[in-house]
Parts: sequence; C-alpha cells; structure tokens
Amino acid sequence: MTAVLRLLECIGAVATYLFSIVRAIFVGPRYLNETVRIADLLVRRCLLPVGLAVAPVGAVIALQSVHILRSMGTEGLLSSLLATSVFREFSPALASVMVAAQAGSSIAARIGTMKVRGQIDALAVMSVDPIRYVVVPGLVACALITPLLNVLATILGIVSGWIFAVPICGVDHGTFMVNLYSQVSMVDLYVGLGKCLVFGTAVGLIAGYLGLNTTGGAEGVGRAANNTVVFTIVFILVADYAASMILLNLGL
Amino acid sequence: MRFDRFVRQALRAQFQGLPPRDEFVRHAIDAGVGSIALLTLLTVFSGMNLAVQAYGTFSRFGGQEMLGLFCGVGGIRELYPVMAAIVCGARIGATLAASLANMQISEQVEALEVMGIDPMRRLIAPRLWAVTLMVPLLCAYADAVGIVSSYAASVYQLGINGGVFIQQVRDIVRFEDLAAGVIKGVIFGWLVALVACYHGYRAAKRDGAEGVGIATNRAIVHSAVLCIVINMLLSALMYA
Repeated sequence: MTAVLRLLECIGAVATYLFSIVRAIFVGPRYLNETVRIADLLVRRCLLPVGLAVAPVGAVIALQSVHILRSMGTEGLLSSLLATSVFREFSPALASVMVAAQAGSSIAARIGTMKVRGQIDALAVMSVDPIRYVVVPGLVACALITPLLNVLATILGIVSGWIFAVPICGVDHGTFMVNLYSQVSMVDLYVGLGKCLVFGTAVGLIAGYLGLNTTGGAEGVGRAANNTVVFTIVFILVADYAASMILLNLGL
Repeated sequence: MRFDRFVRQALRAQFQGLPPRDEFVRHAIDAGVGSIALLTLLTVFSGMNLAVQAYGTFSRFGGQEMLGLFCGVGGIRELYPVMAAIVCGARIGATLAASLANMQISEQVEALEVMGIDPMRRLIAPRLWAVTLMVPLLCAYADAVGIVSSYAASVYQLGINGGVFIQQVRDIVRFEDLAAGVIKGVIFGWLVALVACYHGYRAAKRDGAEGVGIATNRAIVHSAVLCIVINMLLSALMYA
C-alpha cells in the first residue's frame, strides 16, 4: 500500500514539475540574460569533453571496419558506413551523454547546493519563482547547446575517421569522398539534430528535478549529480533505440 | 595535490600488502552487484540499437546478411567494454568521488591521519582493487548480454536468419577479442577508480557542499573522456 502511495506521490510531483516548467516557458517573466549566461558557460565547459569523446569513435569505426570491408573487396563503402553511423547514431548519443555528464551534473550540483543552503527557499520568499529563475534557464540552455555541439562533434568524428582511413590505412581519398557525398543526405543531419534536441531537453529536465529535490547535505548534492547522469544515460539509450525502430519503420 | 604525486602514492599503497579486507569486500560488492541492473538495462538497449542501426545502414547497399559480423565486431571489441567503463564511471566513480569528497569536507580523512592510519592504505587502496577487479567481470557480462540482445533484435524484429547470425559471430569473434575486452576492462576500471579517488580526495573543507558536486562532476567527465581516448589507442595498438 505504501509503495503504491509513494508511486502516486512521485507521479504527481513529476507532473506538477512538468506543468510548472511548461507554464514558466510560455508565460513570462523570462530571465533571458540568465539563460544566455548559463548557455555560454555550458558551451565552454562542454566543448572539450564532447570533442574528445566523439573524435576517437570515428577513428575506431574506421579502424575496425576497414579490415572487414577490405576482406570482402568493398573498401569504398567505408565512408558511407562511417558517415551514417556517426551522423545518426554515435555523434548525437555520445554528445548528449557528455552534455549529461558535464552540464547535467553541474546543473544538478548547483541547484542541489542552493537547495541545501536554503537559497531556493530564499528565492521563493522574495517571490522569485525558483523554477523560472533557476531551472528553466538551465533547461533552455541544455536544449540549445546540445544540437550545436552535435554539429561540431559530427564534423570531428568524420575528420578523425578520415585520418585513420586515408593516411593510416591507405583507403583512396577520392573513393572516400565520393561515397561520403553520395550516401549522406540532409535527413541524416536532421535526425541527429532532432535527437540532440530531445536528449538535451531531457538532460535539463532531469537535472532540474533532481537538483530541486536534493535532501541530506553535502552527500545529497553528490547523489543528485550522480543520479542525473545515470538517469539521463538510461533515457538516452532507451530513447535512441525507440528512435531507431521508428525511423527504420518509416523508411528514413 | 598533483595528479602524478597522487598516482605514485596510490600505486605504492595498492601494492604494499593486501588491502583491508572488509573495505575491499564492501566496495567490490557495491561496484559489481550494484552496477548489474544499470549495466543490463543499458547493454540490452544498446545491443538492440546496434543491430537496428546496422540494418538500416547495410540495407542501403544490400548487405543485411552482414549484421552478425557488425554486431560481433562493433559490440564485443569496442562498444561493450566502453559501455561498461562509462557506466562504471557514471555510477561507481561518481559514488566514490562523492563519498571521499564528503569525508574530506567533514574532516574524517584528517581524523584518520591523526589516529596514525594512512588514508591511502585504508581508503584508496581497497577502492582501487575492488573496481579494478570488478569492471572486467562487468565487461564480460556486458558482452554476453549485448550479443544476446543483438541476436534477439536481428532475428525477431528484423527477420534475419538466426543461424547465419550466429555463424558470422563465431567466424569473426575469436578468443583474443574476448580477452582483449577483459584486458580493456582492467585498464578502464583502474583508470576510473584512480580518477574518481583523485577528485574526491582533492576536495577541500572550505568548498563545502559545492565541492562534493564539483568532485562528482569532474570524476564522471574526466573518466569518460579518458576511457574513450584510451580505448582508441588500445584498439589502434591491437587491431591496426
């Protein structure tokens, strides 16, 4: 019985949270300066982790598939395999995981610290809605920067794949480029950007919720930051699989 | 404390006799058993996603039957070890960093020093051993779960012939690949634990609750980036 009650309580809390977020986005006041400040900070912090995480993946795909494709005499397909998997799959997923690890956990830790120190309550006493002032700017910033970082990550992934394929493994540069251009379409890019928009929003939502519900002092702050990353990675992988199935059935 | 000095001290503490047993067992159970649920969930979905995604890519040029090859190589050689390492960094590493940082800001580490107990031997060494030994096991477990879920997705959702899939996996995946995955697991486990302990241990008392958040954040990000970069170097060494 208590389990059912706790479940209902949790669903209610999440629903209230989502409703107040939606209301805060559509009805003013909005704190645009705060949003820009957070977005700027997060982009600077995330650039290096996202780049360093996605670039090796392109290299590894090129490295592993060049031998298999070569043994079948279809070496030319390397760049289309690389491009479709980086554009659609690895770049959006990994960029979002790194945004979750860097931006999500720091947002959750920041909100959690404010909560533990009573600053969230202080904001509410001053009739500044903490959801509007603290959560929504972080959410909007995450949703905006993830697609932007994804573009950079995709380029880096393809370039590092090229570096491993052409100079190191000896694939012909012309073949690589022709297959790259013939197989990649705008749909691939839009799929990646759309995924990133959804994942980035999820990072902001989860970080805000867990941060606002931090209890138990310094240890609670660490737990909020940690749980944000874990929950977001689970969401990203499950949603990624669902997106792949849907896109496959749509024939995109 | 600088990172290289921390690494030297940690290595010395790690190989200076056996680690304290109770701490080691507690952390090994926490790192191993505690991660299984999360790792299973993530590997099932990424294994199925690997199959679905490869199907979409290969069917553009009529190579659907190569699915087993792709899932075997991509999964066992690369994806699942990295997956286990990232999960381990996000869950185990973050927990280690948060708990050590919390001990630092509440002066428990100094209390240990006052009592004449070396915190490196008492706190860091058992954690390093526990994670280093548990992550390769998690890697092997992720391999098994991942291949089964790739098989399930290929056969039941995409209509690939199951026999062909298994034959291709057996053709391409050799014993050395599995061993390489486990060796990667040992390296990743040690790195994740080292980075997490470093960031947790470095937290200072004046940082307060914020310091715990910063330590957790850095532990997750640095260990994930480090594992992915090291994975590329190891793959280049092993397969190029």
